Amino acid sequence: MDRNPAQPYIEFDRITKRFPGVTALDDVTFGIEAGTCHAVVGENGAGKSTLGRILTGIYDHDGGQIRIDGRPVQLIEPRDALDMGIGMVHQELVFCENLSVAENLCLGTLPARGGFVSDRSMEERARRMLEAVDADMDVGTSIGDLPVAQQQLVQIAAALGSGARVIVFDEPTSSLSHVEAKRLRENIRHLKSKGVTSIYISHDLDEIFRLCDVVTVLRDGRHVTTRPVAELDRATLINLMIGRTYEAYFPSHVDTESGGEMLAVDSLTSPGKFENVSFSVRSGEVLALAGLVGAGRTEVLQAVFGLDPNVTGHLRVAGRPVSIRHPIDAMRNGIGLVPEDRKRFGLVLTLRVDQNIGLPTLAHRSNFGWIRGKGEEDLADEYVKRLSVRPDDVRYNTAGLSGGNQQKVVLAKWLAARCPVLLIDEPTRGVDVGAKSEIHALIDQLAHEGTAIVLVSSELPEVLNLSTRIMVLRAGRVAGELSREDADQGTVMRMMAGV
Amino acid sequence: MLRILLGSQQTGLLLVILLLGAVLSVFAGYHVDRSTGELVNNFLNSRTLMQTATDASFFVIMAVGATMVIISGGIDLSVGSIYALSGVLTAMVLRSMAPDSPLSVVMLAVLVCLCLGLLCGLLNGVMVVGLRVHPFIVTLGTMWVFRGIAFVISEAESILVPQALTDVIKLSFGSDALYPMPMIIMLVITAAGAVYLSRTVMGRHIFAVGGNLEASRYAGLRIDRILVGVYVVSGLTASIAALVGSSYYGSASCADATGYELYVIASAVVGGASLRGGRGSAVNAMLGAMLIVLIRQSIRTLHLDQNYEWVVIGCAIIVAVVLDQVNRRLTARRLVEAG
Repeated sequence: MDRNPAQPYIEFDRITKRFPGVTALDDVTFGIEAGTCHAVVGENGAGKSTLGRILTGIYDHDGGQIRIDGRPVQLIEPRDALDMGIGMVHQELVFCENLSVAENLCLGTLPARGGFVSDRSMEERARRMLEAVDADMDVGTSIGDLPVAQQQLVQIAAALGSGARVIVFDEPTSSLSHVEAKRLRENIRHLKSKGVTSIYISHDLDEIFRLCDVVTVLRDGRHVTTRPVAELDRATLINLMIGRTYEAYFPSHVDTESGGEMLAVDSLTSPGKFENVSFSVRSGEVLALAGLVGAGRTEVLQAVFGLDPNVTGHLRVAGRPVSIRHPIDAMRNGIGLVPEDRKRFGLVLTLRVDQNIGLPTLAHRSNFGWIRGKGEEDLADEYVKRLSVRPDDVRYNTAGLSGGNQQKVVLAKWLAARCPVLLIDEPTRGVDVGAKSEIHALIDQLAHEGTAIVLVSSELPEVLNLSTRIMVLRAGRVAGELSREDADQGTVMRMMAGV
Repeated sequence: MLRILLGSQQTGLLLVILLLGAVLSVFAGYHVDRSTGELVNNFLNSRTLMQTATDASFFVIMAVGATMVIISGGIDLSVGSIYALSGVLTAMVLRSMAPDSPLSVVMLAVLVCLCLGLLCGLLNGVMVVGLRVHPFIVTLGTMWVFRGIAFVISEAESILVPQALTDVIKLSFGSDALYPMPMIIMLVITAAGAVYLSRTVMGRHIFAVGGNLEASRYAGLRIDRILVGVYVVSGLTASIAALVGSSYYGSASCADATGYELYVIASAVVGGASLRGGRGSAVNAMLGAMLIVLIRQSIRTLHLDQNYEWVVIGCAIIVAVVLDQVNRRLTARRLVEAG
């Protein structure tokens, strides 16, 4: 444990947070100095977002103490955090999109006379708040019409306007373009010059080296270190985040004899999303699509699966040209998609485990529209056992499962469909380490059994370990392709960022 | 064990219904039957019970369809108007064609009436899916349109229904002046709805779409077809109720079933259907409708001021749904603690 000089402004003392099935934070202790830009980094699932949410009162913690300026504080509600001068800029922006910038900024305390809102003084106040972040915008526009970067500025202005001296940024650049991200960095520097403390949660290492003074590394919910950024280089930071060498962590994918071409994509284009994307995958191969957020990886998978009505280009499955306009076409041609964001796209949380696993294939397994007696449970049981979903009761409600087990159910659902081509999008986001290595082993095994796999992952170690080949996308275009032998973290990173 | 019993909504509703029935029997008082001279309980006698069941049957039949719409995440406000329109039009067709044999009367009535309900439902479904307008708005519109058409074509007159239909629906199976046909049809429809929802692919797809539309799309379900389907079923059940109702009362009018849509939605919701979609059951909707009708009946039986009927029903609906939610939250907490 590194020692912090003097007394930090914010102190986390043995903070612990448990979710059903996962310990998100385990005995985390470190301090944040006033007026610094403090990065919190870690792999996905390391607990960095959870930490931000605890500090801003969105989550309560199960153990430990938070002290601000030496005094213990109770942060039960976001209101409590705001009262302590802590504001947050969220990953997903939280506004009433139908209301104007001014209305959103003044929502809590609308200036009113006799019950009537005074538009003039409201807009006046909003303008003053926006001046604090040097933002130049019409306060009368509805906030939904503004680009995300501008909306972020409004969020910062709102936090400052309510008296925040500390602002927590949770992956703020994940939905920004490069220019917008640069603009945001300038804004954060500007905040620092005004003595505002920024807590910057991110997994984008470039950002951290460009912007932050101090970095705290979390790994599997535990505190690893807190050090000045100047003392670190990229490789050391990565090693701190991962802890061990990747090879020791997850068994490396052994190249199998790849078979014939299963899926070929030729000049796939979807206006505004990606352009001229071509690739092919053979049986037994894992092709990873790497790229920064917004590079168009997920969009390519969705297009191949028939979810993008505007896509043009050609697809061949096992040599035959096919037209895929609907997920049904994709499934008919043996293509399955394990989507990102299991709660939104992967699972029907009101249905049981077996009902979710059976959903895509229900119609095929039926007798003239009638669900067969025990068929569904037996099918689900097979995959629940194979993927060791816990609890292994197929009649369990999916809403009650932990993230890792929910993810296994989504995988099981598509394994049960026995697709020879599987598109897998962020299979280990937000799952604990144990489930992660099980999922890796499973993907590996699927490839061995001859499935052609296209994998999208934001975690470079995952990409490097699981893939046979890596295709890098940048801003919707193919930036290059690397064989497994040529690929290392640095090369892929540089290709992703275009430097 | 008690916890499991109370936790199950079905038994919970059933218990409340039985409890209310018992309370009613105790407090209803007695009257002397004129023909037999025996002392008869004012509530617990075959005629009152059968009348209550008959009153409930129209709601129940419609509620089975409405439940499917609600499970899919939609809502159908037009069922009362579909009832009126299909009742009136069927009666008019029967009057103008005037088939000879009772059998052909019944067959023609069933054919025309069900087709009308199906068409109305199809129109609702196609508009919901095709225009991408919220079903509340679409069916609010068709609620007025359908009833308006019924009003115009019937010229606001009540139209008599052939005796053959009334004879069928008032089959007494030997018992004296008891007509169990509406109740039998209600039970059959409920059973069919329950089987449809739990045992067929279409039924499961309705739950999936209502539970998570996006995930269902990603699972390759034909969302549009499924959504149109639920409105068709809803229209169909409304027309079945119309057929039973107009046959039972011997006439059809454009003012029939005014306000039924709210009873029907209330039945489904009291039966645990979630307006957010993904949850609901045909059997529970039946129990929900029976509970509402029983509450209405209790006001009559206990000689309370009938003007308070709506107040009581309104309160009962809110209480029922709140209790259900509290119960569900407790169950969810137990799950988390157990996990």
